[in-house]
Amino acid sequence: MSETSEEPIARSPIAPQAPVVRFGWEISARAARGDLSLSDETPLAKVAVRAPFRGAAADALGVGFGRTTRTDVDGVGVGDVLVVGSGPGEWLVLAAPGRGPDLAAALTRRLGSSGEFVSVIDLTHGRALVRLAGRAAPQVLAKVCGIDLSDSVTPDGAALRTTVARVVTDVVRDDRGGPPSSVGPSYLLHVERSSGQFLAGALLDAGAEFGLETGTFVGLAGRDT
Amino acid sequence: MMLLPCPWCGPRSATEFRFCGEAGEAGARPDPATATPEQWRRYLYLHANPRGWSTESWYHGSGCRRYFTAERHTLTNEVRSTTAAGGAP
Ligand SMILES: [Zn+2]
Repeated sequence: MSETSEEPIARSPIAPQAPVVRFGWEISARAARGDLSLSDETPLAKVAVRAPFRGAAADALGVGFGRTTRTDVDGVGVGDVLVVGSGPGEWLVLAAPGRGPDLAAALTRRLGSSGEFVSVIDLTHGRALVRLAGRAAPQVLAKVCGIDLSDSVTPDGAALRTTVARVVTDVVRDDRGGPPSSVGPSYLLHVERSSGQFLAGALLDAGAEFGLETGTFVGLAGRDT
Repeated sequence: MMLLPCPWCGPRSATEFRFCGEAGEAGARPDPATATPEQWRRYLYLHANPRGWSTESWYHGSGCRRYFTAERHTLTNEVRSTTAAGGAP
Protein backbone atom coordinates (compact mmCIF):
# COMPACT_ATOMS: atom_id res chain seq x y z
CA MET A 1 0.00 0.00 0.00
CA SER A 2 1.12 3.49 -0.82
CA GLU A 3 1.76 5.87 2.07
CA THR A 4 0.45 8.84 0.11
CA SER A 5 -3.02 10.26 0.64
CA GLU A 6 -3.46 11.99 -2.70
CA GLU A 7 -6.91 12.77 -3.98
CA PRO A 8 -8.11 10.39 -6.68
CA ILE A 9 -7.69 11.70 -10.21
CA ALA A 10 -10.67 11.83 -12.57
CA ARG A 11 -10.03 11.12 -16.25
CA SER A 12 -11.88 12.16 -19.37
CA PRO A 13 -12.64 9.50 -22.01
CA ILE A 14 -10.62 11.67 -24.43
CA ALA A 15 -6.88 10.96 -24.21
CA PRO A 16 -5.05 14.15 -23.16
CA GLN A 17 -1.97 15.57 -24.87
CA ALA A 18 0.90 16.47 -22.50
CA PRO A 19 -1.32 15.65 -19.50
CA VAL A 20 -1.22 17.59 -16.24
CA VAL A 21 -3.51 17.37 -13.21
CA ARG A 22 -5.67 20.40 -12.33
CA PHE A 23 -8.63 20.54 -9.92
CA GLY A 24 -8.58 16.75 -9.59
CA TRP A 25 -8.78 16.07 -13.33
CA GLU A 26 -6.19 14.99 -15.83
CA ILE A 27 -6.28 17.61 -18.59
CA SER A 28 -4.37 18.42 -21.75
CA ALA A 29 -1.75 21.09 -21.13
CA ARG A 30 -1.00 21.86 -24.74
CA ALA A 31 -2.45 25.19 -25.84
CA ALA A 32 -3.58 25.75 -29.42
CA ARG A 33 -1.32 28.14 -31.34
CA GLY A 34 -3.95 29.29 -33.82
CA ASP A 35 -7.49 30.64 -33.61
CA LEU A 36 -9.23 27.32 -34.25
CA SER A 37 -9.17 24.86 -31.34
CA LEU A 38 -10.84 21.80 -29.90
CA SER A 39 -10.67 21.63 -26.10
CA ASP A 40 -11.80 18.86 -23.78
CA GLU A 41 -14.29 20.37 -21.33
CA THR A 42 -15.32 17.07 -19.76
CA PRO A 43 -14.16 18.23 -16.27
CA LEU A 44 -17.03 20.77 -16.13
CA ALA A 45 -19.80 19.72 -13.75
CA LYS A 46 -22.82 18.51 -15.75
CA VAL A 47 -26.22 18.14 -14.16
CA ALA A 48 -29.33 16.95 -16.02
CA VAL A 49 -32.73 18.31 -14.99
CA ARG A 50 -36.10 17.01 -16.11
CA ALA A 51 -39.27 18.92 -15.36
CA PRO A 52 -42.55 19.81 -17.08
CA PHE A 53 -42.05 21.82 -20.27
CA ARG A 54 -43.99 24.70 -18.71
CA GLY A 55 -44.35 25.49 -15.02
CA ALA A 56 -42.66 26.80 -11.90
CA ALA A 57 -39.51 24.68 -12.29
CA ALA A 58 -39.09 25.78 -15.92
CA ASP A 59 -39.54 29.41 -14.82
CA ALA A 60 -36.97 28.97 -12.04
CA LEU A 61 -34.44 27.58 -14.50
CA GLY A 62 -34.86 30.78 -16.47
CA VAL A 63 -34.62 29.40 -19.98
CA GLY A 64 -36.66 27.16 -22.29
CA PHE A 65 -35.97 24.56 -24.94
CA GLY A 66 -33.47 25.71 -27.53
CA ARG A 67 -31.74 28.54 -25.62
CA THR A 68 -29.10 29.03 -22.92
CA THR A 69 -28.66 31.45 -20.04
CA ARG A 70 -25.97 32.21 -17.47
CA THR A 71 -27.03 32.39 -13.88
CA ASP A 72 -25.94 32.00 -10.27
CA VAL A 73 -27.08 29.05 -8.19
CA ASP A 74 -27.02 29.25 -4.38
CA GLY A 75 -24.00 27.49 -2.93
CA VAL A 76 -22.22 27.20 -6.28
CA GLY A 77 -20.53 30.55 -6.13
CA VAL A 78 -17.45 29.57 -8.12
CA GLY A 79 -17.63 30.89 -11.66
CA ASP A 80 -20.58 30.94 -13.97
CA VAL A 81 -23.39 28.43 -14.25
CA LEU A 82 -24.63 27.81 -17.79
CA VAL A 83 -28.22 26.54 -18.07
CA VAL A 84 -28.99 24.88 -21.41
CA GLY A 85 -32.52 24.11 -22.64
CA SER A 86 -31.40 20.87 -24.25
CA GLY A 87 -34.82 19.36 -25.00
CA PRO A 88 -38.54 19.85 -24.31
CA GLY A 89 -38.66 19.48 -20.51
CA GLU A 90 -34.92 18.74 -20.36
CA TRP A 91 -32.10 20.96 -19.17
CA LEU A 92 -28.34 20.56 -18.94
CA VAL A 93 -26.68 22.70 -16.26
CA LEU A 94 -22.92 23.25 -16.46
CA ALA A 95 -20.61 24.66 -13.79
CA ALA A 96 -16.94 24.75 -12.79
CA PRO A 97 -15.11 21.41 -12.23
CA GLY A 98 -15.86 19.73 -8.92
CA ARG A 99 -19.10 21.62 -8.33
CA GLY A 100 -21.40 18.80 -9.48
CA PRO A 101 -22.66 17.57 -6.09
CA ASP A 102 -23.18 21.14 -4.79
CA LEU A 103 -24.90 22.14 -8.02
CA ALA A 104 -27.24 19.13 -7.97
CA ALA A 105 -28.08 19.77 -4.30
CA ALA A 106 -28.74 23.47 -4.93
CA LEU A 107 -30.94 22.72 -7.95
CA THR A 108 -32.87 20.08 -5.99
CA ARG A 109 -33.50 22.66 -3.24
CA ARG A 110 -34.50 25.39 -5.66
CA LEU A 111 -36.76 23.26 -7.89
CA GLY A 112 -38.13 20.90 -5.23
CA SER A 113 -40.42 23.57 -3.84
CA SER A 114 -42.27 23.79 -7.17
CA GLY A 115 -44.42 20.77 -6.27
CA GLU A 116 -43.91 19.45 -9.82
CA PHE A 117 -42.25 16.18 -10.80
CA VAL A 118 -38.61 17.19 -11.13
CA SER A 119 -35.50 15.02 -11.37
CA VAL A 120 -31.92 16.26 -10.93
CA ILE A 121 -28.99 13.96 -11.74
CA ASP A 122 -25.24 14.66 -11.71
CA LEU A 123 -23.99 13.29 -15.06
CA THR A 124 -20.45 14.65 -14.81
CA HIS A 125 -18.67 11.32 -15.08
CA GLY A 126 -21.17 9.81 -17.53
CA ARG A 127 -20.74 12.28 -20.35
CA ALA A 128 -18.05 13.85 -22.50
CA LEU A 129 -17.95 17.53 -23.42
CA VAL A 130 -15.75 19.32 -25.94
CA ARG A 131 -15.56 22.91 -27.19
CA LEU A 132 -14.95 23.72 -30.84
CA ALA A 133 -14.04 27.40 -31.20
CA GLY A 134 -12.70 29.79 -33.80
CA ARG A 135 -13.65 31.65 -36.97
CA ALA A 136 -13.76 28.44 -39.03
CA ALA A 137 -15.65 26.43 -36.36
CA PRO A 138 -18.98 26.51 -38.29
CA GLN A 139 -17.26 25.21 -41.43
CA VAL A 140 -15.68 22.35 -39.49
CA LEU A 141 -18.95 21.45 -37.78
CA ALA A 142 -20.91 21.67 -41.05
CA LYS A 143 -18.82 18.81 -42.44
CA VAL A 144 -20.23 16.38 -39.86
CA CYS A 145 -23.57 17.99 -38.90
CA GLY A 146 -26.71 18.71 -40.97
CA ILE A 147 -27.82 21.80 -39.03
CA ASP A 148 -27.85 25.28 -40.60
CA LEU A 149 -25.14 26.99 -38.52
CA SER A 150 -25.67 30.51 -39.89
CA ASP A 151 -26.16 33.30 -37.32
CA SER A 152 -29.82 33.71 -38.24
CA VAL A 153 -30.67 30.06 -37.49
CA THR A 154 -28.09 29.11 -34.84
CA PRO A 155 -27.07 32.35 -33.09
CA ASP A 156 -25.03 32.69 -29.90
CA GLY A 157 -27.08 31.13 -27.08
CA ALA A 158 -28.76 28.51 -29.30
CA ALA A 159 -29.09 24.91 -28.09
CA LEU A 160 -30.28 21.83 -29.98
CA ARG A 161 -29.84 18.09 -30.13
CA THR A 162 -28.90 16.44 -33.40
CA THR A 163 -26.28 14.08 -34.78
CA VAL A 164 -22.64 15.11 -35.15
CA ALA A 165 -20.55 12.54 -37.03
CA ARG A 166 -23.59 10.24 -36.55
CA VAL A 167 -23.40 10.54 -32.76
CA VAL A 168 -26.37 12.02 -30.91
CA THR A 169 -25.02 15.32 -29.57
CA ASP A 170 -26.22 18.36 -27.66
CA VAL A 171 -24.93 21.32 -29.69
CA VAL A 172 -24.70 24.54 -27.67
CA ARG A 173 -23.43 27.78 -29.17
CA ASP A 174 -21.65 29.65 -26.38
CA ASP A 175 -19.42 32.34 -27.89
CA ARG A 176 -18.86 34.07 -24.54
CA GLY A 177 -17.23 30.94 -23.12
CA GLY A 178 -14.83 30.58 -26.04
CA PRO A 179 -11.09 30.54 -25.37
CA PRO A 180 -9.67 34.05 -24.75
CA SER A 181 -7.20 33.59 -27.61
CA SER A 182 -9.91 33.03 -30.23
CA VAL A 183 -12.65 35.03 -31.90
CA GLY A 184 -15.74 33.84 -33.71
CA PRO A 185 -18.28 31.17 -32.83
CA SER A 186 -17.75 28.63 -30.07
CA TYR A 187 -19.72 25.39 -29.76
CA LEU A 188 -20.03 23.07 -26.77
CA LEU A 189 -20.69 19.48 -27.90
CA HIS A 190 -22.08 17.12 -25.25
CA VAL A 191 -22.25 13.35 -25.84
CA GLU A 192 -22.37 10.05 -23.99
CA ARG A 193 -19.01 9.39 -22.36
CA SER A 194 -18.31 6.35 -24.54
CA SER A 195 -18.62 8.51 -27.69
CA GLY A 196 -16.19 11.20 -26.50
CA GLN A 197 -12.95 9.94 -28.01
CA PHE A 198 -14.66 9.11 -31.30
CA LEU A 199 -16.26 12.56 -31.53
CA ALA A 200 -12.98 14.33 -30.76
CA GLY A 201 -11.21 12.25 -33.41
CA ALA A 202 -13.93 12.88 -36.01
CA LEU A 203 -13.78 16.64 -35.37
CA LEU A 204 -9.96 16.78 -35.53
CA ASP A 205 -10.14 14.88 -38.80
CA ALA A 206 -12.82 17.20 -40.21
CA GLY A 207 -10.88 20.26 -39.02
CA ALA A 208 -7.45 19.25 -40.29
CA GLU A 209 -7.86 21.25 -43.52
CA PHE A 210 -8.68 24.37 -41.46
CA GLY A 211 -5.74 23.95 -39.06
CA LEU A 212 -7.78 22.69 -36.09
CA GLU A 213 -5.59 21.96 -33.05
CA THR A 214 -6.15 20.46 -29.63
CA GLY A 215 -6.37 23.19 -26.98
CA THR A 216 -6.25 23.18 -23.21
CA PHE A 217 -9.25 23.25 -20.86
CA VAL A 218 -11.12 26.57 -21.11
CA GLY A 219 -14.08 26.30 -18.73
CA LEU A 220 -17.07 28.62 -18.85
CA ALA A 221 -15.52 32.01 -18.09
CA GLY A 222 -13.66 32.00 -21.43
CA ARG A 223 -13.52 35.47 -22.92
CA ASP A 224 -14.57 37.15 -19.66
CA THR A 225 -11.14 36.54 -18.17
CA MET B 1 -31.35 14.20 -47.93
CA MET B 2 -35.02 13.80 -46.99
CA LEU B 3 -36.20 16.37 -44.46
CA LEU B 4 -38.93 15.75 -41.92
CA PRO B 5 -40.35 18.72 -39.95
CA CYS B 6 -40.31 17.92 -36.21
CA PRO B 7 -42.90 20.08 -34.39
CA TRP B 8 -40.28 20.72 -31.65
CA CYS B 9 -37.00 20.95 -33.59
CA GLY B 10 -37.94 22.07 -37.09
CA PRO B 11 -36.81 20.37 -40.31
CA ARG B 12 -34.26 17.61 -39.74
CA SER B 13 -32.72 14.80 -41.75
CA ALA B 14 -35.00 11.77 -41.82
CA THR B 15 -32.11 9.67 -40.48
CA GLU B 16 -32.72 11.29 -37.06
CA PHE B 17 -36.21 9.73 -36.85
CA ARG B 18 -37.77 6.33 -36.41
CA PHE B 19 -40.97 5.47 -38.27
CA CYS B 20 -43.55 4.07 -35.83
CA GLY B 21 -46.29 3.03 -38.23
CA GLU B 22 -49.64 4.33 -39.34
CA ALA B 23 -51.48 6.41 -36.79
CA GLY B 24 -55.12 7.33 -36.31
CA GLU B 25 -57.86 5.00 -37.55
CA ALA B 26 -55.53 2.92 -39.73
CA GLY B 27 -53.06 2.21 -36.90
CA ALA B 28 -55.43 1.97 -33.93
CA ARG B 29 -54.45 -0.81 -31.53
CA PRO B 30 -57.31 -3.20 -30.74
CA ASP B 31 -57.97 -4.20 -27.12
CA PRO B 32 -55.82 -7.33 -26.61
CA ALA B 33 -58.38 -8.73 -24.15
CA THR B 34 -61.21 -8.82 -26.67
CA ALA B 35 -59.56 -8.79 -30.13
CA THR B 36 -59.91 -11.90 -32.27
CA PRO B 37 -56.74 -13.46 -33.75
CA GLU B 38 -57.82 -12.10 -37.13
CA GLN B 39 -58.12 -8.54 -35.76
CA TRP B 40 -54.76 -8.83 -34.01
CA ARG B 41 -53.07 -10.16 -37.13
CA ARG B 42 -54.56 -7.32 -39.18
CA TYR B 43 -53.21 -4.79 -36.64
CA LEU B 44 -49.72 -6.33 -36.66
CA TYR B 45 -49.16 -7.14 -40.33
CA LEU B 46 -51.69 -5.52 -42.64
CA HIS B 47 -51.30 -1.82 -43.31
CA ALA B 48 -53.19 0.59 -45.53
CA ASN B 49 -49.94 1.72 -47.21
CA PRO B 50 -51.73 4.24 -49.44
CA ARG B 51 -50.33 6.00 -52.46
CA GLY B 52 -51.20 9.45 -51.21
CA TRP B 53 -51.81 11.08 -47.84
CA SER B 54 -50.95 8.91 -44.86
CA THR B 55 -51.19 9.74 -41.14
CA GLU B 56 -48.10 8.39 -39.43
CA SER B 57 -46.40 8.25 -36.05
CA TRP B 58 -42.71 9.26 -35.88
CA TYR B 59 -40.14 9.34 -33.07
CA HIS B 60 -37.34 11.92 -33.08
CA GLY B 61 -34.78 9.69 -31.40
CA SER B 62 -31.67 11.71 -32.28
CA GLY B 63 -33.26 15.02 -31.33
CA CYS B 64 -35.97 15.95 -28.84
CA ARG B 65 -36.83 12.27 -28.15
CA ARG B 66 -40.53 13.00 -28.60
CA TYR B 67 -43.26 11.27 -30.61
CA PHE B 68 -45.41 13.15 -33.08
CA THR B 69 -48.01 12.52 -35.75
CA ALA B 70 -47.41 13.66 -39.33
CA GLU B 71 -49.62 13.76 -42.39
CA ARG B 72 -47.24 12.74 -45.18
CA HIS B 73 -47.83 12.22 -48.89
CA THR B 74 -46.19 8.89 -49.66
CA LEU B 75 -45.55 9.81 -53.30
CA THR B 76 -44.01 13.28 -52.87
CA ASN B 77 -42.90 13.13 -49.20
CA GLU B 78 -44.67 16.44 -48.65
CA VAL B 79 -45.73 16.86 -45.00
CA ARG B 80 -48.85 19.02 -44.61
CA SER B 81 -49.30 18.86 -40.83
CA THR B 82 -47.59 17.64 -37.65
CA THR B 83 -48.96 17.25 -34.13
CA ALA B 84 -46.74 16.80 -31.08
CA ALA B 85 -47.81 13.95 -28.80
CA GLY B 86 -48.91 15.19 -25.39
CA GLY B 87 -49.52 18.76 -26.46
CA ALA B 88 -48.16 21.29 -28.92
CA PRO B 89 -44.85 23.06 -28.29
ZN1 LIG C 1 -37.54 16.90 -32.47
